[in-house]
Amino acid sequence: MAKKPSMGRQKIKIAKIEVKNHLQVTFSKRRTGLFKKASELCTLCGVEIAIIVFSPAGKVFSFGHPNVDSIVAQFLSRNPPPNSATHQLIEAHRSATLRDLNSQFTQVQNELEGEKKRGETLDNMRKIASERKYWWEKPIDELGLNELEQLRDSMEELKKNTKNQTNKLFVEGNVNPSPFFVPNGSGMVDSVETKPYQIHDSSTNPHVHNFGYGRGFF
Amino acid sequence: MTRKKVKLAFITNDSARKATFKKRKKGLMKKVNELSTLCGIDACAIIYSPYESQPDVWPDTGGAQRMLTQFKRMPEMEQSKKMVNQEGFTRRRIVKATEQLKKQCKDNREKEMTEVMYQCLTGRGLQNLVMADLHDLGWLIDQKLKDIHKKIESLKKSNSSQAVAPGGSSKSASEMVKNEGGQGPTLEQEQKPVMDLAVDAMQSGPQWFIDWVNNPNEHMGFGGDDQMMLPFGDGHSAMWSSTFFP
Repeated sequence: MAKKPSMGRQKIKIAKIEVKNHLQVTFSKRRTGLFKKASELCTLCGVEIAIIVFSPAGKVFSFGHPNVDSIVAQFLSRNPPPNSATHQLIEAHRSATLRDLNSQFTQVQNELEGEKKRGETLDNMRKIASERKYWWEKPIDELGLNELEQLRDSMEELKKNTKNQTNKLFVEGNVNPSPFFVPNGSGMVDSVETKPYQIHDSSTNPHVHNFGYGRGFF
Repeated sequence: MTRKKVKLAFITNDSARKATFKKRKKGLMKKVNELSTLCGIDACAIIYSPYESQPDVWPDTGGAQRMLTQFKRMPEMEQSKKMVNQEGFTRRRIVKATEQLKKQCKDNREKEMTEVMYQCLTGRGLQNLVMADLHDLGWLIDQKLKDIHKKIESLKKSNSSQAVAPGGSSKSASEMVKNEGGQGPTLEQEQKPVMDLAVDAMQSGPQWFIDWVNNPNEHMGFGGDDQMMLPFGDGHSAMWSSTFFP
């Protein structure tokens, strides 16, 4: 699906937003961004933060590291922060957990970046291919009745051949022994054949081929 | 200001860490300020750091105290409902990023199989595909067929409601190449001259196409009007399949 062109970064006036809808959206987005920045500051510099934000509707959102309540208590009471051995142990454990989570997050981000790049490469391939102007590669809306019927026949034929080939492989015992549900994380590969396949869950891929053996693949 | 990607981990270099802290703290306070002004809401931020004996506060100590008192006066459940700490916040980010990754993989897979489908449509063999590829290919074909059937139905409906008889069934080869195929002014008129197509075909098309372009009047063994043909379809598949599916 093509990305809808957004308005991009626009310079806005720092004054209360007039339109209620915009205000709501802005609040939601900026609050998330604010917490993200606070989170990064804590990770990068090892400081303790609490941010409290009241929504236009009167609800309250808060972010805190190590947690909102301890920071608020510390601030209001002006007591020095606790520094017992127990406290240090708790903090050390918390830091270790956070380190793991952060590296996990970074890993997923990197994979995402890789897949995005792959998507762009594939888009370019399709762009180049469609410039060769085979009529059957055009969007369906641009085809005439005659062409559509031809295309339909060809596709039906291909579908038949695909089914036959699948059955052939199945019978030959060539069902790929590696697990179906391995997530694809390896990024770029050169050919279709060697690519590890991705997770299909039933919500995204409801179609099940019935090859007459009484079982679908998912 | 550099735009290098910063690793999400504690900065071990003391001076770098202090410099980062100063910059990011300033930016954070600015963001809190903007949020408060743009949305007309109350907000406060408190930062304890090893660099200052007193916490950095926005808007100021008095304002923050007022807001925190207000916060503490709210029912316990209201306070904690939207409360989050580093751990929870990061876990949420991981979940979101994982969802995006899954979606991107799915989109990429569909794009990839679309290429395969078009290649197979013009003669590439299916032997190299593994089970999962065939499965996905079959699914994609079914999706496309659904759309094709829908469009055929709607065109047929609009045809039957038109007084003018459609002239789509007999088109000469050159017209097909120019892609005027079908009825109605709604279709895009592809005006690419035949010669350009032929040049493209020389470079990249399968042999049957090259032969066809060189002999536009030869019907290649089929009766009736010829059109630019796909390898399958119209009951002529037997003729093609020996070439493409040994």
